[in-house]
Amino acid sequence: MVRLKDRYLLVHIIYTDVPAGQAKGSVPDLLLYNQPTTGELRAQHLLKGIRSEVASLFGDCGSGAIDRSLQVKYLSPATSTFILRVSRDHHRLAWAALSFMDHVPVRNGRPCVFRVVRVSGTIRKVEEEAIRRAKLLVLSAKQEMSGKCSDALGALLRGKDQGRSLTTVADQNDDSEMEDVGTSGD
Amino acid sequence: MDRKKSLPDAKAPDAKRKDPPSTANNTKNQANDTRPNSRAVKRVKFNDARNIRSQPPDAVLEDGRLDLQKFLSAREFEIKALETSMRKCKASNSTRVFQQVPRAMRRRTASHNVKRVPKRLRERAKREQLEDNTPTVEARKRRPRTTRARIRAETAKKLDILAARKRKRRLEKAAADGPAVVKGKGGDVKPTVQSRAPRPKIRRDTLNEPPKIKSKFRKRQQNKTWLPTHVWHAKRATMTEPSKPQWRFAIPITSTEKCYRPTHRASGQKGAVAWDMSYMSTIGLYGSSLGVERVLRALGLTQEGLWAVRGQKWRAGSRKWSGLLSKERKESKRIIGPATIIWNPESAMENTGELSDLKKSQRQLLIRTHPSCFLELFNELLKLVKMQTPRLHIEDLRFEIGSIEVTGPGSTEALLGVLKPYYDKPGTECQADVFKSLAGVTNPASLPKDAFLAFSARDPRLAYPPRQINVPDRNGDPVLLETLTKWPVEKHLAPFGLFSRDTRHTASQLPTQKSINRRKGSSVPGKEVPVTAADPPIPVILLASKSSTAVQAQGTWTLMAPWKCILPIWYSLMRYPLSTGGNPRFGGLDEQRQITFEQNVPWFPGDFPGTDAGLSWELEQRLKRKRDWDRRPRGKRVEWKSLDLGAGRKGEIGDGLACDFEHLFGLPKNNTLGPDDTRNEAVSVDSDAMELDRLDKPQGIQATEDSPKPLSMIKHLTKASFGALAPPTHEKAPRSSIITVTLAFTGRGVVSPCARIYRLPPQKSPMPVLPSTQAEVPATEPPPSTVSGLLPSNLREQWLGKLPAKSSSSAGGKDRQTKKRSSAPPRMPPGADLATRKRLLAASLLTAEPQYPQSSTNQTDVGGHPLCPGEEELIGFVTAGAFSLSEGKGTAIGSVSAEKALETIRGTGAREGHLCVVRNAGESLGWLARWEVV
Repeated sequence: MVRLKDRYLLVHIIYTDVPAGQAKGSVPDLLLYNQPTTGELRAQHLLKGIRSEVASLFGDCGSGAIDRSLQVKYLSPATSTFILRVSRDHHRLAWAALSFMDHVPVRNGRPCVFRVVRVSGTIRKVEEEAIRRAKLLVLSAKQEMSGKCSDALGALLRGKDQGRSLTTVADQNDDSEMEDVGTSGD
Repeated sequence: MDRKKSLPDAKAPDAKRKDPPSTANNTKNQANDTRPNSRAVKRVKFNDARNIRSQPPDAVLEDGRLDLQKFLSAREFEIKALETSMRKCKASNSTRVFQQVPRAMRRRTASHNVKRVPKRLRERAKREQLEDNTPTVEARKRRPRTTRARIRAETAKKLDILAARKRKRRLEKAAADGPAVVKGKGGDVKPTVQSRAPRPKIRRDTLNEPPKIKSKFRKRQQNKTWLPTHVWHAKRATMTEPSKPQWRFAIPITSTEKCYRPTHRASGQKGAVAWDMSYMSTIGLYGSSLGVERVLRALGLTQEGLWAVRGQKWRAGSRKWSGLLSKERKESKRIIGPATIIWNPESAMENTGELSDLKKSQRQLLIRTHPSCFLELFNELLKLVKMQTPRLHIEDLRFEIGSIEVTGPGSTEALLGVLKPYYDKPGTECQADVFKSLAGVTNPASLPKDAFLAFSARDPRLAYPPRQINVPDRNGDPVLLETLTKWPVEKHLAPFGLFSRDTRHTASQLPTQKSINRRKGSSVPGKEVPVTAADPPIPVILLASKSSTAVQAQGTWTLMAPWKCILPIWYSLMRYPLSTGGNPRFGGLDEQRQITFEQNVPWFPGDFPGTDAGLSWELEQRLKRKRDWDRRPRGKRVEWKSLDLGAGRKGEIGDGLACDFEHLFGLPKNNTLGPDDTRNEAVSVDSDAMELDRLDKPQGIQATEDSPKPLSMIKHLTKASFGALAPPTHEKAPRSSIITVTLAFTGRGVVSPCARIYRLPPQKSPMPVLPSTQAEVPATEPPPSTVSGLLPSNLREQWLGKLPAKSSSSAGGKDRQTKKRSSAPPRMPPGADLATRKRLLAASLLTAEPQYPQSSTNQTDVGGHPLCPGEEELIGFVTAGAFSLSEGKGTAIGSVSAEKALETIRGTGAREGHLCVVRNAGESLGWLARWEVV
């Protein structure tokens, strides 16, 4: 039986500017990086943005390749997180497109960075990773609240546990290539 | 009109199987309406499970500003949403019912038959099939298409009408004299004529007929007998073909489930395997003890120990004897087959008699043997018995006594759970108490050698389903150890119930299942039904046997009980919940062979081609292999003539589909194949045939035995008699006698039946020694003269070099060196001086054999592997061989010519004499193995 093989991408949208109406320095950096995305952003806008980016980068061939399976599984504007499904063979095209996108794909979108945090063969593992990262953020936010000055950038980029490498960690997992990209945003 | 209504509709014949289809049909319109609905519901459910909830961005903002508290709550919301999504996804991960059934039950055929799934899943399966419109009805099966099917359907209809009429008449009758009947059932009316169930006739000194079968099943048992558990097995196992019964029985061959590895595990590590062995034959022997002794001596029980002090326990009836029986023929012994002999203890009154009385005392014995050699043994016994004065008698108890075999660590536990002693009070039956104290025994082989127990058990249906017994962790329990060492069964030895025809008969009159159900219904739930006078005791004998070769191998329990009692015991046994989990498995003939093979024990009759039973088995197998071979397409079967054995030898030795002992011993071939087949079949059928008239004319028997059947000249030599011939003596082995051996490969190798066993080729005469200057120079090969001369002269060394280095210490190393030296011109040693170099160069130039062009393949070796020895080194054949799960490598059991084996041992010593090369039939590669007599 032929099985359609997919990859799931966990993507964070990271903002680098201060929103309008927010005094500079009034909020910790942690919050600044993890700002909510505008509610105008719908799944179809996102898809449209990725498609057009892929088309401009890889031409018709590329856009045709990812066209079949590109789907947004989860989009949470409040936490600026989304899960993308791409066909396994071409998920790098979508990933590249995400790396080249520099603003939210709506009209007058704010400048931002799409950071692919996790690539997996099952949505389950992606969800687990999202949970883990959310928990990490909560922890560092709590530290922030308790007055300790935390390393906001570190909390943002810290994909793995403290002991492990901060940048790119590629697990030696045969099928689901789990890659952690730490510095695509900077 | 009225009758037409009562007719069953056209679907009746297949109504038995197709339950859901009918519902699907009847409710088709309805289903059509509901289906989209249900599908929509399903889709909603599915979408709901896949959807992950998320918050709008405002949730994070406090009046349009970022806020730490909100930030936290948003993350927490996300975590919760993702977790619920994962949970819901898993829950809604829809699996069909057919994916949930136990692994062993999964199958493709009829996988849409709801009756194939467990009852608890049946409703769901029906619903699922209804929902997604699974086609379960095949149109072609709904109406009888063939004439035969139509006739069957019509007959079924007619029978239905008849049955309905009968039912109606009975109802009318019951309505007419209703109250009277009810009163009659109450039992307080005067008893009418009391009828006694007829005791089955057992005629002495002749064969007895199979039990009278219910007329419903009689037609199917015309040329065979069913085991008591036949119906149970027929649903779960592949049985022998209806037209080709095995040993005149319908025997389960193997389970329909995949069971090779489970059987291995259950028999050795965890669990238990049980077989209905009721096809084993039992013969009763009665008469004076002196006469019995004479008869048994004539059957080969000649070890003096048996008749002196050592055999006292056996003769008293507290130990069994198992071994090979043989018959005397013209100054030579011929093995009949394995048997177990049990004496019935004398009753206490008789025991008080004087010594002279003892000699006259009447004794009873049971001889349990394999059905394939039953007739031979029976005839032999009959002959011997007739010669004795005072007369002895034998009884054919084949269908009187059935048996079950159980093996595995859980076997004792399962038997303890199923067989409850009949008498509650301890001390009534000493052996029952011993049996009860065996809880905790995980291997029947840990019992004393040849131990057995005889006691009366109660009907297992009274405590059905069986409950798990309390298995104490009694690994080192001193009480149990003491029981096992002392084995206190001699205390009150009384005659065993199983020997008495009356006891067996009463035990066969077990109360009906209906009455037991009634009693169960009236007693407190969860409590065992108490034993009443209506429940007869079931006399059982439990034999514990251990395999002869492996000490730590699992032993086997053999339960002997009256034929009619086997079925209830079997039902209970199969339901017993083992403390290690699961139920006992059941096995068929294949599993029996598998387990004996894994224990490295020869299996009768397959591994005893030197007996009549083994011979007919071998002939059967030949026919079967031939049939299978014929069925294969020409391109995919082994072409025996074109097999390249290397060194110019072409073609398989003898018949590749047979353990060709005729070829080995130069016996006359059974002429051409065509008539041969029919002849063989006729012979095998003949030897199985149980016509009574043959017994009346022993000349007839003699005639068939003396008829020139070449293979029947082969004799089996037991380990003991072969040991008597071993090296110190110089006696020759009897002509065309074979011994059964186990083969252990020294390195790699897996062989299958019919593989050829060679001894190592003899040392060739040493080559002309060259002057000392050329000492390390390879001698040129002598020019090939004969076919065998084509084989490399150092073949023996090549084979010895294949021995693993550890076992062959210095000698092996040397062999390998010589092999290297002789096979190819040596390489320059790294630090050689000029003189040596020159010498070596000159030597290599002098080597007569040109290196190029290379000789064709298989000329001197098979890709570096030594060639298999020549035909004159053939000593035997493999009768059973496979990868053994217990050894973790290939093992085999075979038969080799005793004469040649002796020759080899005498010629080359015990160490190298036991080495052999085994080659699969139809393959050119041989494997080095070591044989051991069993």
